[in-house]
Amino acid sequence: MKKILTVLFSLLVIAAMLLAACKPPAPAAPEAAAPAEEAAPVEEAAPAEEAAPPEKVTIRWFVGLGTGANPEHIPGQEEVVARFNETHDNIELVVEFVENSIAPDQLKTQIAAGDPPDIIGPVGWSGTNEFSGLFLDLEPYLGAFDWGDFDADSINAYRLEGEGLLGLPFAVFPSMIYYNRDLFDEAGLAYPPQNYGDPYADGDPWTVEKLEELALALTVDANGNDANSPDFDPKNIVQFGYHSQWTDPRGQAAALFGADNFIDDEGNAVLSERWRSAFNWYYEGMHVKHFMPNTTYQESDLLAAGNPFDSGNVAIVHCHLWYTCCLGNVPNWDMAVVPSYNDAGDVTVKLHADTFRIFASTENPEEAVEVLLYLTGEAAGDLLQIYGGMPGRISLQEEFFATMDERFPQGVNWDVAVQGLAYPDVPNHESNLPNYAKAYDRIGAFQTLYESTPDLDINAELDNLVADLQVIFDEAK
Amino acid sequence: MTTMFSEFTLRNLRFTRGKLSKLARREANWGLLFLSPWIIGFFLWKFLPMIASLVFSFTSFNLLHREDVQWAGLENYIRFFGDPLAGVAIKVSLTFALISLPIGIIQPILMAALLNQKSLRWKRIFTTLFYMPKIVPMVSVVYIWQGVLNARTGWVNIALESIGIPGPDWINTVAWIYPALVLIGLWGVGDMMLYTLATMQGIPTELYEAARVDGAGAFATFWHITIPMITPIIFYNLVLSSIGILMYFLVPYVLKGPNGDPGNATWFYGMYLYKEAFAYSDMGMGATMAWILFLFAIVVTIILFSTQKYWVFYAAEEV
Amino acid sequence: MAIRTDRSTTLLSNRMRVFLFSASLTLFALIIISTYLSPFGYMTVTAIKDRSMIADPNAPILPSKEATFNYEGQELAVYLVPTEDGKVHEWAILKKGREESTFIDPTNLEAGPTEWTGRWRTLERVWSVSPVWENFSEAWKGLNMPRLLRNTLVIAITGSIGTLISCIAVAYGFSRFRIPGKNILFMALISTIILPEFVTIVPTYVVFERIGWIGTWLPLIIPHFFANAYNVFLLRQFFMTIPKELDEAAMIDGASPMRILFSVILPQSIPAIVAVGMFHFMWSWNDFFQPLLYLSTERELQPISIGIQLYNARYFAQPHMIQASSLLGLLVPIIIFFLAQRIFMQGIVFTGVEK
Repeated sequence: MKKILTVLFSLLVIAAMLLAACKPPAPAAPEAAAPAEEAAPVEEAAPAEEAAPPEKVTIRWFVGLGTGANPEHIPGQEEVVARFNETHDNIELVVEFVENSIAPDQLKTQIAAGDPPDIIGPVGWSGTNEFSGLFLDLEPYLGAFDWGDFDADSINAYRLEGEGLLGLPFAVFPSMIYYNRDLFDEAGLAYPPQNYGDPYADGDPWTVEKLEELALALTVDANGNDANSPDFDPKNIVQFGYHSQWTDPRGQAAALFGADNFIDDEGNAVLSERWRSAFNWYYEGMHVKHFMPNTTYQESDLLAAGNPFDSGNVAIVHCHLWYTCCLGNVPNWDMAVVPSYNDAGDVTVKLHADTFRIFASTENPEEAVEVLLYLTGEAAGDLLQIYGGMPGRISLQEEFFATMDERFPQGVNWDVAVQGLAYPDVPNHESNLPNYAKAYDRIGAFQTLYESTPDLDINAELDNLVADLQVIFDEAK
Repeated sequence: MTTMFSEFTLRNLRFTRGKLSKLARREANWGLLFLSPWIIGFFLWKFLPMIASLVFSFTSFNLLHREDVQWAGLENYIRFFGDPLAGVAIKVSLTFALISLPIGIIQPILMAALLNQKSLRWKRIFTTLFYMPKIVPMVSVVYIWQGVLNARTGWVNIALESIGIPGPDWINTVAWIYPALVLIGLWGVGDMMLYTLATMQGIPTELYEAARVDGAGAFATFWHITIPMITPIIFYNLVLSSIGILMYFLVPYVLKGPNGDPGNATWFYGMYLYKEAFAYSDMGMGATMAWILFLFAIVVTIILFSTQKYWVFYAAEEV
Repeated sequence: MAIRTDRSTTLLSNRMRVFLFSASLTLFALIIISTYLSPFGYMTVTAIKDRSMIADPNAPILPSKEATFNYEGQELAVYLVPTEDGKVHEWAILKKGREESTFIDPTNLEAGPTEWTGRWRTLERVWSVSPVWENFSEAWKGLNMPRLLRNTLVIAITGSIGTLISCIAVAYGFSRFRIPGKNILFMALISTIILPEFVTIVPTYVVFERIGWIGTWLPLIIPHFFANAYNVFLLRQFFMTIPKELDEAAMIDGASPMRILFSVILPQSIPAIVAVGMFHFMWSWNDFFQPLLYLSTERELQPISIGIQLYNARYFAQPHMIQASSLLGLLVPIIIFFLAQRIFMQGIVFTGVEK
């Protein structure tokens, strides 16, 4: 029996040694050890007969922080990757798709374990705020790059002070009003205007007040009473007038009430009167006037369990151009311009922009940039079709809208989207905040609270929000 | 069963080996041989990560900036005990444990007892059906219940309204979220039911025959024979459910999102821990919370183990 | 004679009683199970709807389409329209309006559009049940189900084998041998499931990364050959219910510990072993985070849990597709579970005889 113990003991020793060997190297030296390891399996896999292939570098592309990981998105992107690998001897592009809600955790685990991907995207501002400071400055790698195909403003949006150029414009998504023509027809109402500056059909200026007036008439209960009727039953609504779809409080406020932020230049938490009135408007719209769905209605099957406009039971929503991704059910929709938030006719069209970024930790920056240029260049047309993004490259825009017309034969006035680019929100409603993840959570908690709670003292909650944000901002100092 | 944690065990390990008889040593060696897969596995995959996480708890380890790790001493621990949100999390987790633990213990016993009835027809189909919810992926489960419990369009409230009871807003009100979570939890006991059933089926039939001869009724037989015979599995369920409930958060997380809605009612300890470690990338704090939970849970486990001798019946006593 | 008749009636009524008891018990179980599984009904119904059916507030519970009528290339919904003469017509709605709408009579097109005063929302519609079975074929193709099933089966089956072998051995060790320090070892075992895994994910990932296992099935399979606390603890509890006299008798006959395990312990615990095998199999079937962690770059190797999760996109969740793919994913485990019960039940007979 002693033998058994000896065997056991030696096994343990081996195990311990193995583990000691596996311990991560000291943080200072990761660059030295890793490239050889990563390249090795690729070499082994390549057939030996090929006339001495150049050493292939593996570049990992992580999809899921923004759009791109839905099942219907995946095959097209895999084709793009396959085409890249066929045409490039020096690089093996590997793609990973992770569903959006868990993508940050997955990515953080990889980063923390010292095994991050090289490229991430497509991703907007919001998805990258947490990772700010980790991205590669592209400028030194671009060389003689043709900048002519980009709008100068959209490039500069990716130039951050102290960090350099962090991305190339890939997809831009202006926001707009989506409306359901059938529901307007049913109510006998004229459609909203499709040119910035135009009044509504009755000659009144196209403002938030006018939008509310329409929305009230377009909110109907099961007996066919609209929200203006004294018989209206708010417990039994079957059609809503308005919803600010799929956005957070900063997005809600910026959508109809102009750009602003919860932070001022000195880093103090603030709330402008304009935004305060914005949140009062939303709160009353949900719980007092009932022309917007509260949480329970949003989650119900009536509103397609979270995709309200596509349920066909919401007449007007505010959303971005990417929402074309998810419109499979409502046949007769069109776009209209965002109303102005004051009598002076001021308009803000909040903007999303997605692109690819490279982690500064990459072992092979040049190859990674090569892939990035492929994704934002040669493959951009195909990828943008998959994601439903309006091309950042001017030369691709015409073709993009032509294909969109094939997808939506009812006739959509895409010019609304192009016009909207002239009124971007500055500061952007997704701009970074100190202690971003916590601040974002706190703002999100405010949203669920006011959207789900009738009889709320909304102004007191707004004051709480500002106070809490101040604490969160201070923590980061 | 020897007391799990007699104070002498450690000493036994170190000093009594010499005194073991040859036979006893032989037995111990055989035992170690059988334990060896786990011991090796423990050192291969578990030990280092566990120690690493303990070390994390004394550092400022941020997932995104591993090169900036700083020694933080007890800072995380001090921060934890001064954090009102941690207090909320502890309260929420303990409250929910008190509500759901008894149900989680009793429900599988009742289900297994039903399936163990000799007179029940279509037993295999029933067993499969009772087990089925356990196989449904968690995301689907949450979607199903979210749909079924929706205050406006859900089946539960439609059924309640048809008999004249106005249904509550299950998942958006503080008062009803725990009942809703308990309802969802009813679907998670398939494994425990199966184990209980397996144990019940191993009970020697002579025991039941003897009871019948003594004229014991069905309930008395169940209480005096079945229950004592399945105490080892009840004990197992109790230990694992207690540990599990302290870490519970995934269902409310998928159902209500990461903010503890409604009104902090789902601000579970596990949720806070997960958020510190991943959402806020503060692995140092996450590890601290994990080890505080670990210490608490291990005390609970030890207490549970020490109660074994009063109520758990092992046929192979005194091992 | 009289006595005999009495006996046979008693016998009959006894049988009758047994039958009645069995029938009412089964009925009781049926009621319980249909309540317990009623959300499954919702799941199934959702899985065979399309988005518009899910969102229709007035739709019947079963997946139903409005009856429609094709009029000049348009699909028009058919309503039950009462008119002043007291009749109810099945008319198709041509133009919806708040207080008056235009209908057309499908049986009398020459009559042309009719104006009708009243609210169309209060009208009853004509429904026809039409389940959308295509959801299943779409999920099957969209996810490449054969590949997912193959991967999941390989991972789950090999993992289950490893778990069973190792856990039986370790549980046997813990339940039948006097080992110095055993209680401490047992606590160490339990402690591996007490520490929340979130904080060990990163170092565990590092371990697997350093030995080059990322992007392979190895991290999902090999560790299971080294036992885990859940199943060791469980099997130990089972083994502890087997009286020790049985193995002592065998030991006196000169049986080695190995022999005792195979000839005494295992035959006694077949239900438990099957249960543990099932548990691991089902766990592995649904385990999602680990496969994602280690296989995110290798779509070819991913199991079904990752596929289903893809339909859970935060902003475009597709309830019907989630449920359809989940139902597809249920089929194999349910069949396996149902078949495994045969062994399960045999085990009972076996142990019953033994004891």
